[in-house]
Amino acid sequence: MIHWRNEIKQTAKGMAFLSPWLVGFVVFMALPIGLSLYLSFCNYPLLQPPVFVGLRNYHAMLHDSVFWESLRNTGYYALLTLPAGMIIAIAAALLLNSRVRGIAIYRAIIFLPSLVPLVASSMVWLWLFNSRLGLINTCLRYLGILHPPGWLTSPKWAMPSLAIMSFWGLGNTVVIYLAGLQDVPKELYEAAEIDGASPARQLWHVTLPGISPVIFFNLIMAIIGVVQNFTVPYVMTQGGPDRVTYLFTMYLYDNAFSFLHMGYASAMAWVELLMVLVLTAIAFWSSRHWVHYQGK
Amino acid sequence: MRRMLRNIGFVLLLVPALAILFFGPRQQAGVPKGRVVVTYWEKWTGPEEQQMRIIVNDFNATVGRKKHIYVQFVSMADIDKKTLIATAAGVPPDIAGLWDNDIAQFASLGALTPLGKLAREHGITSKTYKKVYWRACHYHGRLYALVSTPADIALFYNKLIFKSDAAKLRAAGLNPDKAPQTIHQLDAYARVLTKFGPDGQLLRAGFLPTEPGWYYPEVFFWFGGHIWNAKTHKFTLTSPQNIAAYRWLASYSKWLGPNTINSFATAQGNFESAQNPFMLGTLAMEQQGPWMANYIYSYDKPFSTLHCSYAKALTLPLALRRKNYGWAVAPFPSAVPGLKDVSYCGFDAFVIPRGARHIKQAFTFIAYVESQPVMERLCSMMSKNSPLRKVSKRFIERNPNPYINVFEKLASSPNARGLPQIPIMPQVIDELNTEAQAVALLERTPRRALQKAQDRLQREYDSYERVQKLRRALK
Repeated sequence: MIHWRNEIKQTAKGMAFLSPWLVGFVVFMALPIGLSLYLSFCNYPLLQPPVFVGLRNYHAMLHDSVFWESLRNTGYYALLTLPAGMIIAIAAALLLNSRVRGIAIYRAIIFLPSLVPLVASSMVWLWLFNSRLGLINTCLRYLGILHPPGWLTSPKWAMPSLAIMSFWGLGNTVVIYLAGLQDVPKELYEAAEIDGASPARQLWHVTLPGISPVIFFNLIMAIIGVVQNFTVPYVMTQGGPDRVTYLFTMYLYDNAFSFLHMGYASAMAWVELLMVLVLTAIAFWSSRHWVHYQGK
Repeated sequence: MRRMLRNIGFVLLLVPALAILFFGPRQQAGVPKGRVVVTYWEKWTGPEEQQMRIIVNDFNATVGRKKHIYVQFVSMADIDKKTLIATAAGVPPDIAGLWDNDIAQFASLGALTPLGKLAREHGITSKTYKKVYWRACHYHGRLYALVSTPADIALFYNKLIFKSDAAKLRAAGLNPDKAPQTIHQLDAYARVLTKFGPDGQLLRAGFLPTEPGWYYPEVFFWFGGHIWNAKTHKFTLTSPQNIAAYRWLASYSKWLGPNTINSFATAQGNFESAQNPFMLGTLAMEQQGPWMANYIYSYDKPFSTLHCSYAKALTLPLALRRKNYGWAVAPFPSAVPGLKDVSYCGFDAFVIPRGARHIKQAFTFIAYVESQPVMERLCSMMSKNSPLRKVSKRFIERNPNPYINVFEKLASSPNARGLPQIPIMPQVIDELNTEAQAVALLERTPRRALQKAQDRLQREYDSYERVQKLRRALK
């Protein structure tokens, strides 16, 4: 009996210490998630009570041209940023992993931009991309390109501009790759060298398989980040010109807070979650073929 | 020892916590005792915020003191979204300063308190206001808003550029001492005044429909077009007049090229800066509201003080005052022969959100601002026209905007137009801005762009109507 009492007392104490997190999770996460699922089946303009409309919001998406446009734009953005971002980050990590003088300074330089708030760096890039006065076009003109792109004002170049800007904040990813690189057993390189493997072969057969769990982790994070991308295009282009940079989350936000289609926005949020889940599941499924864990 | 340290730590945390609890800042700090506190949220920041604050302080010191009301003025960004969320949560402000295009959306959702009865009690009727503003304060025949400050849109032109290029203008058969009278003339002036650099870049634009690009949804007005038929509840975007308006937008891109225009636009500074293209002289003519006079004076004093100081000019008769300015204002020309003094008349609106706690007291403040002397004072500070029918001579003569009579005339004109009261107005504005942008980029033909907007918006509206019907049936 006493044992039981002690057990209950201990559990209560534990729960009490956990309660700030538990209450926070229930009130600010679980409840809104559950509510958004319910609201996705409702018409809810925020100022009137929700009315159950069944699958109408999901059905409306099929016929909503802007929904598909925003989805297409998000896909295009992912295509531009995901592979290139990973290659750049791995390349940077490889360079930063070399033993040269002052490497700590180079590492700090690569990492620093990721500490700058997104809105602030967006403002800087707005000026860099300025078609007449920007540094990029000034350099291009100096190199003999008399008519450089209009970057953010050109429907053709606006999305690539955002992609280029996204590489600026890769510092975090680079640091994770760097940690992964330092974890690759040195014996493997020694063995490869004894076998006569060139540096390129060492990279392909030792380094990349060695950091494949880190690549996998970064891939998952990048997928989530790309699908949820909002701040930079919102600040830099507001979805323009001609909606070419209007991403999925921007349309979701407009539906919720400008057009007051809270039910439709909730349905979009669930579709977004589903997209992330499917993409992550594909990544997990494919990981069996290319991710190698040490000791396995 | 450990226990003592723990107790000291506890006391050290407890004492400041209690001190903050009992003596810390209060929401009602500075509020005189015995007053009802009316919370007033406003969108303005910067000079306009300061100007409205002066009016609020005056109210608190006079009428407020007498009637035991204290208006607490809070300035904020994204006021429409914040008002909306606060109203949905049941804790709205007593007064919110929204935009004219928010009224229909908010009213259609029952988010606003009808003001008709309160207005009548304070002697505010249709006769108090200029028709265009009074009409736009209503939704489905009910009064939901009153004007805090109004505006209308006219053509600002740089007299100094007109003067320097007088010979060229005359050679083209245009009068350098007059503003263009028709859209056709406006285009002709623009062609003469536009200057290119050796590399083909725009050095100076005579006029660009995309600068500042704030009035795309209203561009149809100057072509005799309409967005919406209130009787049939149908959009009328594909009318020949509207297509003509978009063709006009596209004509500048076809002439100069979208890249040249965009490159020019990105090289200009912000509206609220000394690098504003109109002030810099890189844009000779611009579609703008009356507030521009204040911004010009703030950022480019010499442009408004050619011969004497600003203060001295204010004591001169209006005709002489105008000579002190390097810029002038005229009605924006219409494309339709005989259609004169066309303007878009927008305004900042006072509304009382549903669930506000001090409706009567809030309206007392609104009625105070709507009185002729206070309204004229506020509009003078912002160099805007008045929404009221009665306007004093002094208001016209001493308004910092020496062309305020042009804005007054435009707002009183039978061709003064407000935005139609459509409950899905945010989508309408979003769609029309997108399509106008596509036309200006030559990405879509005017007809295709308008058809696209027409189809999408009509579908949106029909869906809105269906849901409202369903809601009514469920009640």
